[in-house]
Amino acid sequence: MVVTARPAVEKPSSAEELARILSEAATARQAVVPVGGGRASGMGNPLERCDVELHTTRLDRVIEHSQADMVVSVEAGITLEAVQAHLGRAGQFLPLDPFHSPGHTIGGLLATGWTGPLRLRYGSPRDYLIGIRVALPNGKLATGGGRVVKNVSGYDMMKLHYGALGSLGVIVAASFKVFPKPLHDVTVVSHRGWEGAEEALATPLAPSALEVSSDGRVLARYLGSPAAVDRVVSSLEWDEEDSAIWEKDSRSAPERWARIGAPPSELRGLIGHIPSGDRWWASPGVGIAHWAVGGEAMTVAELRSRVEARGGTLVMLAAPDDFMRQVGAWGTPPPTIGVMRRLKQAFDPDGILNPGRYLV
Amino acid sequence: MPLAKPVVEELRRAVGREAVIDSANDLRIFERDGSIAGAIPDAVVLASNTQQVAEVMKIASRHDVPVVPRGAGTGLSGGAVTIHGGIALQVTRMRRILEIDPVAQTALVEPGVVNQELSLVAARHGLFYAPDPSSQKACTLGGNAAENSGGPHCLYYGVTTNHVLGMEVVLADGSVHWVSGDAPDRIGLDLCGVLVGSEGTLCAITKIKVRLLKIPPSVITLLAAFPTIETASQAVSAVIGHGIVPSALEMMDNVTVGAVEAHYHAGYPTDAGAVLLVEVDGIEESTRELTDAISKILTANHGYALREAQTTAERDLLWQGRKGAIGALGRIKPNYYLHDGVVPRSRLPQILSAVGEIGEHYKLPVANVFHAGDGNLHPNILFDMRDTQVMHQVEAAGEEMLRAVVGLGGALSGEHGIGLEKNAFMPWIYSADDLEAMHRLKDVFDPAGILNPGKIFPDASGKAVHLAGRSGLAVEAKWW
Repeated sequence: MVVTARPAVEKPSSAEELARILSEAATARQAVVPVGGGRASGMGNPLERCDVELHTTRLDRVIEHSQADMVVSVEAGITLEAVQAHLGRAGQFLPLDPFHSPGHTIGGLLATGWTGPLRLRYGSPRDYLIGIRVALPNGKLATGGGRVVKNVSGYDMMKLHYGALGSLGVIVAASFKVFPKPLHDVTVVSHRGWEGAEEALATPLAPSALEVSSDGRVLARYLGSPAAVDRVVSSLEWDEEDSAIWEKDSRSAPERWARIGAPPSELRGLIGHIPSGDRWWASPGVGIAHWAVGGEAMTVAELRSRVEARGGTLVMLAAPDDFMRQVGAWGTPPPTIGVMRRLKQAFDPDGILNPGRYLV
Repeated sequence: MPLAKPVVEELRRAVGREAVIDSANDLRIFERDGSIAGAIPDAVVLASNTQQVAEVMKIASRHDVPVVPRGAGTGLSGGAVTIHGGIALQVTRMRRILEIDPVAQTALVEPGVVNQELSLVAARHGLFYAPDPSSQKACTLGGNAAENSGGPHCLYYGVTTNHVLGMEVVLADGSVHWVSGDAPDRIGLDLCGVLVGSEGTLCAITKIKVRLLKIPPSVITLLAAFPTIETASQAVSAVIGHGIVPSALEMMDNVTVGAVEAHYHAGYPTDAGAVLLVEVDGIEESTRELTDAISKILTANHGYALREAQTTAERDLLWQGRKGAIGALGRIKPNYYLHDGVVPRSRLPQILSAVGEIGEHYKLPVANVFHAGDGNLHPNILFDMRDTQVMHQVEAAGEEMLRAVVGLGGALSGEHGIGLEKNAFMPWIYSADDLEAMHRLKDVFDPAGILNPGKIFPDASGKAVHLAGRSGLAVEAKWW
């Protein structure tokens, strides 16, 4: 980070206050870095400037949870764990299990688009985010979507901000469709690597989460009605594993790591090019793998070009600044980068949000 | 106003003489979509490929002529109506299924492919395309992507946006782009997600990559009668409240059931105040277990005459009745005005009694047929357009129903879109700042405002513009 003075640290306690701070910074052309739980602070290129750290952590309320409607609205600074604790009392949950847990905030998860193994069954928050409220650099609070589970009223502003790493605005609140806790939840383990994963994917009831690791371990999690789950699990003949293993695994966050996203049918072949000895874990069926990068920048560049040739991406999630500068966080920009730049210009004309960090 | 001759000539050079329609008689065919509004385009272009779409867009941009992309014209919010004239860009000649990849479970299609056709072809590989609008026999996948269409089975499977992996689109300047693709977590802004559901106001869609799902080995369709629409909606809340999300959970009221039964003879109980059509799918153990659980809940909530479809034919007939319900309503009155509000599910009993009261107040029959599990209402106001006085009543009743929806924390549209039907009401649910942010998005993609003008956003004057009274808007009877 090229920072001459320590950035100001702002911790607003309301969305309005946050929007005001943002617009004041914009007027003064100060660079603003939104911060949630800080779990994904390594994501992206090193910042060009940072004048104001804008923390969302005091925006930590559950705004409304309707158990009967299976909808929850929360402020962006609440942690995923706090949301889960709240929903859990009603037998519900958000099917989100990101790595580098615990401590992610909802806003951070939406801005970064980080997900975990449960994505196989439930999709990502992109699929169950139904409303969003964003503070824009002009000081306005703009809402999209709503609190109903199905809604085509106006543009899908949720998609615009999801995964945009806070480069168009700062997410201050969000509404989600939530899910009932499954009736039955069984995890089984095998040590047969990709063959095991293929076997689990072929079961008549698809696993809800499936993770294969570089040591050959395969974890499969089956959720659903007891009779169905038990039938499938018994036909698979793997050993039963304590479901707590998923939470243990979700703490993973190597000092230097990357996320590979590829068409699911290409993932196995691409992972084969990870240098032996490096740790990785993957979600076959989803098409995502995480890689603890052991070697030099060149290994990242080599694998990235293979992944990109197959229509995928390799994104660095954290690395020392000099390493990040060498490899670049994102890889080759898509051909639509011009449209993305125009969007950035339209929402953040002075370029004060996360300058240099994101693709635009 | 007809297009200037040189513009028509340019279009003809781009797409071929016969692919440009500009004679007054022929243009009338493209006046309407499935909504109650209509307006005659200045020209219709029947595009055959992406390059032609791009050429048309460039010509339109140069001459500042509106372009309205159009599929089968089954939309219910006026999305394909050329309210400001210009070119109706018809994509139904682009109707090839380019690729089905049974391993990756994806399909690449042109925008004119009919929704149901994709599922029929995919079935050879044991796959299906999940979003199933009731118009699926006619509506196109391009129209579905533009409107982010839903359907009965979206309760469990999600709507169109959850199934579109990527698209080839043409922007207002005629540039062609691929947005997103097969791989998850692509870098950069999610343009694909923004463009799905943008109602032809941001781009024209020329190819769509969609996800296909495995056809579930077991499906159980359950029919239950209820004494009243209120008891049926309480039963819906109870099912969902028990943490059960069936693949579909549909409701029809007594008026609808009467019309459907007279037409389809599907075995719906005509004496019931309302019926629920519930479907669960998956492997046999789970469908059996879920159906038993649901049956118990329905019975405990005044459900009676529970019946499971015993054969595929029986199941198909029940669905034919449900999906053809709106057509069957023609037995009661020749015209309908179909609304599409969404409320939080727990508010169903309140909104349905409000809808009933509004119908009574205006002395208009109302038939309810809708996606109860999603809280997505479809009250059909039934009327006869030959009665010229009734249109204003119909609109006023519809508007009041929407106000009730919004008053209960709902949204203007669940799956039909805003179009020109509800654009005046957008300020009911969005602030000026919210709409301004959406406008920024619009300006990036279409700075000159040639793509489907007059849709989604309220009229600049801020006044509510009524469909029945809009100038240049022909509101006529539809017959079937």
